[in-house]
Amino acid sequence: MATNAIRALHPMTKFTFALFVTAAVIAVPSYLFAYAMFAALLVIAAAAGVLREFFAFVLKTLVVLLIIVFLMQLLFYPGDDIIGGWWVFTLTQEGLAYGLLLTSRILAIGSAFILFFRITEVKDFVKALENMGLPPAGAYVVLSTLQIIPEMRRQSNVIMDAQKTRGVETEGSVLVRAKAFLPTLTPLILSAIASTEERAITLESRAFSAPVNKTSLHTLERRPIDTGLIALFTIGAVALIVWRVAVWIL
Amino acid sequence: MTEIRLKGVSFAYPDGTKALEDLELTVRAGERVAIAGQNGAGKTTAVKLMNGLLRPTEGTVEVGDWDTKDRTTAQLSKKVGYVFQNPDDQIFHNEVIDEVRFGPKNMGFDEARTDELTAWAIGLCGIVKHGEENPYNLPYSMRKFVTVASVIAMDGDVVIMDEPTAGQDQVGLAILKDVLDELGRRGKTVITITHDMEFVAEHFDRLVIMANRRIIADGPASELFSREAVLKESMLKPPSAAIIAQSLGLPEGIIRRKQLEEHILAREPH
Amino acid sequence: MDPVIQLKNVSYRYPVGDEQVLKNVSLDIGRGKLVTIVGNNSAGKTTLCNLIRGFIPHFYKGDLEGSVLVDGEEIADAQLGQLAEKIGYVFQNPFIQISGVKETVFDEVAFGLENLGVPVDDIRRRVEDVLQLVKIDNLRNKNPFELSGGQRQRVALASIIVMDPDILVIDEPSSQLDPVGTEQVFDIIRLMKERGKTIVLVEHKMDLIAEYADELIVLADGEVKLHGPVREVFADPSYMALGIQYPHAAALALDLQEKGMELPFLPIRDEEVAECLARARRKEGRP
Repeated sequence: MATNAIRALHPMTKFTFALFVTAAVIAVPSYLFAYAMFAALLVIAAAAGVLREFFAFVLKTLVVLLIIVFLMQLLFYPGDDIIGGWWVFTLTQEGLAYGLLLTSRILAIGSAFILFFRITEVKDFVKALENMGLPPAGAYVVLSTLQIIPEMRRQSNVIMDAQKTRGVETEGSVLVRAKAFLPTLTPLILSAIASTEERAITLESRAFSAPVNKTSLHTLERRPIDTGLIALFTIGAVALIVWRVAVWIL
Repeated sequence: MTEIRLKGVSFAYPDGTKALEDLELTVRAGERVAIAGQNGAGKTTAVKLMNGLLRPTEGTVEVGDWDTKDRTTAQLSKKVGYVFQNPDDQIFHNEVIDEVRFGPKNMGFDEARTDELTAWAIGLCGIVKHGEENPYNLPYSMRKFVTVASVIAMDGDVVIMDEPTAGQDQVGLAILKDVLDELGRRGKTVITITHDMEFVAEHFDRLVIMANRRIIADGPASELFSREAVLKESMLKPPSAAIIAQSLGLPEGIIRRKQLEEHILAREPH
Repeated sequence: MDPVIQLKNVSYRYPVGDEQVLKNVSLDIGRGKLVTIVGNNSAGKTTLCNLIRGFIPHFYKGDLEGSVLVDGEEIADAQLGQLAEKIGYVFQNPFIQISGVKETVFDEVAFGLENLGVPVDDIRRRVEDVLQLVKIDNLRNKNPFELSGGQRQRVALASIIVMDPDILVIDEPSSQLDPVGTEQVFDIIRLMKERGKTIVLVEHKMDLIAEYADELIVLADGEVKLHGPVREVFADPSYMALGIQYPHAAALALDLQEKGMELPFLPIRDEEVAECLARARRKEGRP
């Protein structure tokens, strides 16, 4: 069990928070607000003890995307308020503003979900979904896929070895290695298919389709603080959306 | 011909787990050697050093006049063929015949030689009638012979087999015997990892026993099977013939049924 | 005899096959017996296991004739999910026999009981018991994916035994294991027999069969050629024509007989040979 207070929260609490961030940055049309949200996420990550991993993952996955989106808006967004020009492009105030807003929102929403998966174990999240009515077969598919990926990577290395011993040169340039990788796909897929049947038999042997309600050793604790926080985030999100719609209509 | 020499070889995985310590082993050209020991003793690691799939962390491994650290596995495969324990780790074509042809083609043989070697290998392994089939549709024991055929078709000097008898019935064991005999006639070196001591007794003169990452005994099978301490440390059970011979008070060194029979018939009038 | 498994004139063909894999098989398997199925590859052994466990016709379709009864009930009428409590099934490949969703051996063994809806406290107690019984308590916190073949096979057995089925169908459990692993697995099988389970086992290693099994069913080309107490089947002259292995002691004795020695009985275990020869000697009035 996680001892950290934030990580110990119920997965649905954390998930509702991610949804709240999403609703908030969409409702509030201010890039400063959205960037502030990102700052808040950094603080939460630090409190949960995952700041480094979180920040590194955001850098790796979001930054290139953000730069591209920002430049596209800056260069192509239509507007009248010209603030400069570069080569054949005209840069407008509207483009700059929209670029900042859009990127700030992508950053906040993307990071909120990245943080969610950093501080929530997938098996806990799937368990929570199961508690809410996800069928066991669906939960199984999600969890087994996650476990099988490293297994397939191992298998791929073994097949690569088998090919080396049959005279395939796999040591050397990227091109040589890429060429050697392709033939591994066939056996990888074939053995995965072959094992599906055996896996199904394994599951049946363990009474997977028994017509009873399953029990579980793994339970999630839902404490008053979770109920409170979920209510808070939900009310917050709804309030912001109502406020936004009201402003928009009036 | 190709001699394999392991000199002062130790191996540790990148995470520091030791798998082999201070191995000294020479396998002469044309020899038949069985390597036995419990899982985790280091058998597979030892043979993977012989074809460059692993490189020693200490010591040297020589294959003929090559040092494995200067060669890629693909280059070493011209001399050393390796049949994996699990055929599913090795097979990657949709037709048996393509699978078997793959190796010799990579060796740079011309079309005629490739055809000749392929036909020889699948004939020897008893899979001629499955030539057009998908290896994945064949039963485990047959898939294993697909991998044996695809390795011997490469015509290297050394053939290494990992657990060839696992899951084989009487028919499969007879085919395996033919394969060993034919490889012997062609002067090939055969190195086998096996748990099957009957198989060792019938077909292998030399036995290397490993335990706890080391070679603890190396010599004629008939001699090692009567060494109590070695059997105890490696947790190996001698073949039936040796056990029965002992219960009858016959001399040590009997490991094959035929030998045992001769001794019994000589002693008991009939 | 109190037959717990009955097959009556069963023939079966897989959906993609042209030939019948089992032909007119009739069998009774008695309660509490350890019955071994032998036969060369593709004789129909695994198919027979699938039939007894109900995977045929519930999982594999194809043409099935005749009836398979377990405890007097037609298996085709049972529901696949309910059979797990009655018949445990362990098969050859130890690497695939894990749920793939559990992170520890403890949770892996508990998986079947969770699926059966057993209360959590009972699950914990039963898993603890089985971990002790199968001697894998030292593996309890390990990830099932990181175990060796032998360890996985024992975890697979434990995961089935924990559900406490009356019948165990075990298909070649030792073919991928080393001698120590094999011994551990057969220790478990013996223990299950002592607890009164009915066990149907497929195995190639005849010495193990001679040591552990009560009865032998010999399959060839999808037909039951012989069925009876182990000793009688090995001693049956028609067994030899089927080209299946003998236990080493029996193979030796048969060769000796062929060379003219008269033996009072057919030894099937290594330790019986000395006794057999001694009795032969006494019979001839020699010391």
